Amino acid sequence: MSWNILFGLASDLALAGWVAVVFLPRRAWLNQLIRIGAVGVLSVLYSSLVFVYFFRVKGGGFDSLAAVRTLFESDPVLVAGWIHYLAFDLFIGVWIAERLDGVGLSRFLQAPILAATFMFGPLGLLLALAAGLIPARDARNDSISKRHA
Amino acid sequence: MIAVATGVTPSKVELSVLTPPALQRIAFQAAAILMGFALPTIAAMMMDDRLLNGVSVWDKPLKFEVSLTVHLLTIGFLSRALDAARTASRLVRIVYVTSAVSAIGEVAYIVLQAARGRQSHFNFDTPLESIMYGMMGVGATALVVCAFIIGLGILKSRKPGIGEGFKEGAAWGLMLGAVATFITAGVMSSGLLAGAGHWVGGVHSDAQGLPLTGWSTTGGDLRVAHFFATHLMQTLPLAGYCADRWLPGQARPVVWIVAAFIVMVVVATFVQAAEGQPLHL
Repeated sequence: MSWNILFGLASDLALAGWVAVVFLPRRAWLNQLIRIGAVGVLSVLYSSLVFVYFFRVKGGGFDSLAAVRTLFESDPVLVAGWIHYLAFDLFIGVWIAERLDGVGLSRFLQAPILAATFMFGPLGLLLALAAGLIPARDARNDSISKRHA
Repeated sequence: MIAVATGVTPSKVELSVLTPPALQRIAFQAAAILMGFALPTIAAMMMDDRLLNGVSVWDKPLKFEVSLTVHLLTIGFLSRALDAARTASRLVRIVYVTSAVSAIGEVAYIVLQAARGRQSHFNFDTPLESIMYGMMGVGATALVVCAFIIGLGILKSRKPGIGEGFKEGAAWGLMLGAVATFITAGVMSSGLLAGAGHWVGGVHSDAQGLPLTGWSTTGGDLRVAHFFATHLMQTLPLAGYCADRWLPGQARPVVWIVAAFIVMVVVATFVQAAEGQPLHL
């Protein structure tokens, strides 16, 4: 199998998950489907690639920049590394969506944060953490004052 | 529905900054996101040796992050002067979300262009960048129109416990600030006076500009009038609030005197820049 095909399939799967997180209505089952389904499949792909190819790379490892570079000279390990990004970013994307729902952030404002996470993972996470500093209180509180009025 | 219940919210709840009422929360969350952009921007400024207009490519993103944060905090804080009917109104909520989305959109694109080492405003180099510059104009116009609508809403609001000066200052600050910004920034972006850009004559670089602002010291700079125009949105509410405290009963004239003075400053700095002169007394 060409590594390009696997790269493409994994990317498409992750993209489908991202489209769902950004555009579809939020449902608990949908979040679970993305987390367990899509991220699960990506994780199985990653793990199997690592099982088969990781230790074949001579001089590969995590202990120096040179060792990491050597690792990524192997196409299957490079694809595995890419799938690692896809899986973790998507998982974090669902977590961000749930957390921002929790603080009552408008979906219109969630979209750019999720897009940033999709493109540049930690940048989006940073923005989500910042937005999460302003907690939700009034979502509940407003409805209480509504009932009293 | 509760639209009729005016001013029933206990003031204690309203004063808590960390658990703010809905409209304020929208604005404050967006402000927090902009501050999230600001942290890596400051770090990038220290690492990046690329320049635009003679200053760091990250100079402009930081300015926009800070100034739009100030804007969002302003409309968030001033939302307290809106009465319950307007706070609950769908239009007002849309106006707040639009402001927040526009501010984040502006900053996101300015950051992206800085990272690419390219101009964001006045960039007609590629079709996409021309379109994006147009989109930034739409976003900026939306911010200004939204500020005007919020000001109008405050003017019409009848909320108990809000001082006359604060209310008038907030309402007219947002409305006058919006109109004056629309005119000054509009002339700037139209390029009517001296082509694309905010400079009128002088050296087209921020390197010899005034500290912090980067305003030209060699020629006219339309950003000066834009600055005073836009900050009517902060100065007038503040003036009104101070008048409520220290000159009660005369809050309205105080707001109007301050407004007239700042509008004069806007006109004077605008004329100065249009004549190609740097900011001077």
